[in-house]
Amino acid sequence: MSETPSRGFWAEAWARLVRKPLAVGALCFVGLLAAVAVLAPAIAGTKPVLCRYKGRIYAPCLGYFHRSLEPAIFARDRFRGTYPQNLRDKDPESWAIWPLVFQDPYRAVRENEWPGRPANPAKGDGHPNRLNLFGTDQYGVDVFAKMVHGTTIALLVGVVSMGLAATIGILVGAAGGYFGGWVDMLSSRVTEVVMCVPPLVLILAFIAILEKPTIWHTMAILGATGWTGIARLTRGEFLRLRQSEFVMAARAAGAGPLRIILRHVLPNALAPVLVPVTFGIASAILAETSLSFLGFGPPPPSASWGSLLNDARSNLSMWWLVVFPGTAIFLTVLAYNLVGEGLQEATDPRLREARK
Amino acid sequence: MPQPDDAAPLVDVADLRTHFPVRRGLLRRTVGSVRAVDGVSFTIRRGRTLGLVGESGCGKTTVGRSILRLVEPTGGGVRFDGRDVRATGGRELRALRRRMQIVFQDPYGSLNPRMKVRAILEEGLVIHRLGTPAERQARMTRALERTGLTPAALDRYPHEFSGGQRQRIAIARAIVIEPEFLVLDEPISALDVSIQAQVVNLLVELREQLGLTYLFISHDLSVVEYVSDDVAVMYLGRIVESAPAERLYAEPLHPYTLALFSAVPRIEPGRRSRRIVLAGDVPSPARPPAGCRFHPRCPLAEQVCRESSPPATAVDGHLVHCHVAARELERAGGGVAATAAAMARLVEAAQAAGAGVSPTDERRDGA
Amino acid sequence: MTAPLLEIRDLVTAFHTPAGRLPAVDGVSLTIDRGRTLGLVGESGCGKSVTAMSILRLVAAPGVIESGRILLGPPRDAVGAAATDLVTLPEPRLREIRGGRIGMIFQEPMTSLNPVFTVGDQIAEAVLLHRPVGRAAARARALELLRLVRLADPERRLDEYPHQLSGGMRQRVMIAIALACDPDLVVADEPTTALDVTIQAQILELLAELRRRLGTAILLITHDLGVVAETCDDVAVMYAGRIVEQAPAARLFANPLHPYTIGLLGARPGRGGRAAGPLRTIPGMVPPPQLFPSGCRFHPRCGVARLPDCAAAVPAFLEVEPGHFVRCPFTRPST
Repeated sequence: MSETPSRGFWAEAWARLVRKPLAVGALCFVGLLAAVAVLAPAIAGTKPVLCRYKGRIYAPCLGYFHRSLEPAIFARDRFRGTYPQNLRDKDPESWAIWPLVFQDPYRAVRENEWPGRPANPAKGDGHPNRLNLFGTDQYGVDVFAKMVHGTTIALLVGVVSMGLAATIGILVGAAGGYFGGWVDMLSSRVTEVVMCVPPLVLILAFIAILEKPTIWHTMAILGATGWTGIARLTRGEFLRLRQSEFVMAARAAGAGPLRIILRHVLPNALAPVLVPVTFGIASAILAETSLSFLGFGPPPPSASWGSLLNDARSNLSMWWLVVFPGTAIFLTVLAYNLVGEGLQEATDPRLREARK
Repeated sequence: MPQPDDAAPLVDVADLRTHFPVRRGLLRRTVGSVRAVDGVSFTIRRGRTLGLVGESGCGKTTVGRSILRLVEPTGGGVRFDGRDVRATGGRELRALRRRMQIVFQDPYGSLNPRMKVRAILEEGLVIHRLGTPAERQARMTRALERTGLTPAALDRYPHEFSGGQRQRIAIARAIVIEPEFLVLDEPISALDVSIQAQVVNLLVELREQLGLTYLFISHDLSVVEYVSDDVAVMYLGRIVESAPAERLYAEPLHPYTLALFSAVPRIEPGRRSRRIVLAGDVPSPARPPAGCRFHPRCPLAEQVCRESSPPATAVDGHLVHCHVAARELERAGGGVAATAAAMARLVEAAQAAGAGVSPTDERRDGA
Repeated sequence: MTAPLLEIRDLVTAFHTPAGRLPAVDGVSLTIDRGRTLGLVGESGCGKSVTAMSILRLVAAPGVIESGRILLGPPRDAVGAAATDLVTLPEPRLREIRGGRIGMIFQEPMTSLNPVFTVGDQIAEAVLLHRPVGRAAARARALELLRLVRLADPERRLDEYPHQLSGGMRQRVMIAIALACDPDLVVADEPTTALDVTIQAQILELLAELRRRLGTAILLITHDLGVVAETCDDVAVMYAGRIVEQAPAARLFANPLHPYTIGLLGARPGRGGRAAGPLRTIPGMVPPPQLFPSGCRFHPRCGVARLPDCAAAVPAFLEVEPGHFVRCPFTRPST
C-alpha cells in the first residue's frame, strides 16, 4: 500500500493519457470544437446574445438552435430578423451584447444591416476579407458563420448517432454475452443482419421516400446501423467477464444477475467500448458530410460543412469554399481518431505495467 | 424439518458428478462430455478440515465450486447441514450461500478492480441485509483487522495491494458475513513462499477463532498435511485414497499417492534417492481410461485394473480404490502399515524393472 | 583449476520507467564451472529472471545492462583462449552464441513454442541456425534430440504442432531445442514451475540424466528450494537484486547463514505438522524496486538487524567458510 492518494481506474487511465502530447493536443482540439458547437450563436450570428428590450432581458441568439427558442416578442414587433436597426428604433433604451462576428450562417448580410457595413459580396468577389474571414459563398452567406454553426451540426450528428448506437449496441451485446444460449444466438444473428445494411444507401432511400427528410432522420439511421461493432465488443467483454473470479465471488455471496451485471460486469466492460464510440463519432461526422457533399443533406440554407463542399463543386474557382471546410473536416476526424487511439492505449490492460 | 444432529456432518457429498458438455458443429450438438468430477463422495464434520489434493485436471477445483453451486453439478447429492443444496433455489439458496463461502486462487482476478475494498467487503453484508451501516462498518473493520490489514485499506483499490495483501482482502470478504464453511481453492499457490507461510498461519488462526470448517484444495502436499485433519487424493475426477492426515502421509496405499509423495522435491541433506517417476501425462478428462483410471500410468497395473474400476476398500477410516492394494490389505489381515510397506516395495520393484519408465505419453485432445 | 565456464562480474541491469530507475539486478556476481549446476533461488521480483535474460542480452526495454561483465570461457576445443565479454560483444557474434554455446529454456512451455510451426521444424531451425547442414540432416538431428529427451513416439511428434502436446511434452521439446547444438551452458528459467508435480519429477530426472550424459553446465533459476536441493551442485540466493548467500548446495542446506535463507527454509511446514505450532514466517513483504530500502535491503524484515548499521551501508559479500559466501555481518557461527 503506498501513501499516494487512491486512484481509481479512470483516474489512472487519465494520468496515462495526459502523458502523450498527441492525445492531449487532440483532446484539446475536440474540447475546442465542443465549445464552439455550444457557443456557436455567441461566436457568429446576427442576433444578439443578450439584449434588453422594453424592460426585459432576452436571448434571441437561441433562435439559431431552434426557431421556437427565439423570443416571440421580436416576431410580434416585426423585427424580421434584423436586430441592430430595429432595437435602436423601437426601444432607445435597449442595449445588446452582440456575437463576436456579425455574420449570419443562413443569409447574406445586407447593406447597412450593421451600421456602416457593406453587404456581403457574392460569387467570385467573396474571397476572404476583413469582414468575411473565410469569404462568402455564391449567395453571399458568410463562410465563417456557416462553419461555426456547422460545428454544432457536426457534433450533434456525431454525439446523437453514437449515443443511440452505443445504447443499442451495449444492450444487445450485454444480453447476448451474459445470458448465452438462445438469447446470444438471437442477438448475434440480429447483429449480423444489421451489419449487412449499408447505412448511406438506407439514408438515401429514406430521403427519397420521406417528404421532409431532416438531419434527425440521418442521425437516427446512422445510430440504428452503427451499433454492430459496439455490440460485438460488448458481447466479447461480457463473455470474458462473466467467467472471471470476482463475478463468481459475487455469486457466492448471493448476488443476483442484475446486481452482477450492473455492479461487476458493466463497469469493467465499458472501457474498451469507449474506443469504437469515439471512432464512431468521427465516422458519423464523415458520413453526414459525405451525404451533404453529394447533395443529400439538409436542404439549403444549411450550415453543414458538407453543404459548403457541395457548393464548392459548382464553384471551383472559389477556393475558400473547399479549403476551410475541408481542413475542418480533416482536423476533426483526425482529432477524434487520435483521442480514440489515446483512449485505447490508456485503458488497455495489456499495455499496463506488468504485475508481480 | 428434522433438526440437524450434532453428530451429522456439516458437509455431505455423495457420488457427486459434474460433467461439462463438449459441443461441436453448427447446431452445437453435444458430442461428449468432460467428466471433471465423476463420482466423488466425502463428508466433513463441523470444525474439521478436509484437504483435497491432486494435480491439474483432477477436478478438485470443480468439486469446491460444485458444492457452492457456482458450477451446476450434473448428478449426485450435496447436503449442507442436512439441507439438499441442489434442490434449493431462490431465497433459500441465497440464505444458504451466506453460510458457505469461497476463497479463490488468483488474488488478482478475484477482486473487482473497479470497486474499492469497502464496496468489496460490504457487498455480502448488503445482499444479506446484515446490520445497519454503522454496524457494517464495524464488521468490516473487524474482518480486516482479523486478516492483518488496517481499516485504511477500505478506501483503496485492489491494485494498490500486493498479492499477499489481496488474498487477505479476499479472506476478509469471505469471513465478514460470518459463514460456517469455507472452500479454500488453492489459496496460497499464487503467492511467494515467504508470504505463503503468513497466509497459512492466518487461515489456521481464523479457523480456531471463528470455529470454521474448511475444504482446503491444493496441489501442495506439505501445506495440506499441515492444515488438514483429513486428506483425500483425487485423480481424474475420482478420489483414489482418503484418510486422516497423519495416517495418509505415514502409510500411503495407492500407487498414485506413493508417486505423488515421492515426486515432491524435498530438502533433505544427502537425498538424491530414487524417485517414483510416473510414465506419461494425465489423460484428458473427456476420455478417461476404462477400468481403473490410473492404470495406463500405474507401475502395478494388472489385467483386472484394465477391466474394472476398483471399489472402495476401507479400514479404520482409511479408504482406498485399488485392486492391488485391496489384495495386499487382505493378505496383511487388515494391517494398514504393513500394506503400505508392501505397496511401496512393489512399486520400487516395478520401477527397477522398468515398468513405469517406458513412456506412454497420452495424446492431448487436439481441440 | 580450470577456468570457469561463465563468470558474471558486478552485473547491473536497470529499468528506466516513468516511475524512475529500477535496479532489478544490482551488482550480481556469479560463477558457473563447466559441467556443474548452479541454482539461482529467490522469490518473484528478486531479479533472477532478469539476470538470466541479461546473460544473453534478451532483456526487454526499458531494461538496460548498465555495467558489469559477463565472461564466457572459450569452447571445449580451444581451452586456453581468452574469454569473451557477452555484454560488449557485437550483435552478430552474440547471435552465434545464443542457441549455439548457450541454450535457454523458458518457463511457460505453452507460449514459448510457436504455434504455427511443427515441433520438428522448430528444433531443426535451432540446428540450421548454427550448423552448416542441410534440411535433411537437421531433421535427423531433431529426431535424435527427441529421443534424447525421451519423448514417446518421436517420429510422429516431429510433425505435430505444439497444441497437440501436453505441458510436460512441450517442455521436453524446449529442452531439445536448447540442446540442439550441444551447448556448453543451458540457462533454465523456472523450467518446471508451470508443471504438475509428477511431470516436474519427470523433467528433473531428465535434466539429471542429460547432465550425466552430456556434461552440460546448467544455470537453474527457480523459487523452489526443494528443486534446488535435489538437482543443483551450487546455490546462490537472491533478494531484491542482490546475491545474499552462495555456497555448494549441501553446505547451504546443512548450514544456512543469511537470515533470509534461514527464513525461507523455515517457512515450509516440517515433519512435525501442526503440533510444531504456527509456521515461522518472514514478516513484511518483498519490497518493489521503487521502494528498495537503503543499505542491506532485507533489514526491515530481518530478525537480527541492527540499526543504523544495517541501513547505512550495503554489507560486503564475504567468504565465511571455504566456498560459502554471505552478505551479512551477523551470521551465526557454523555448528
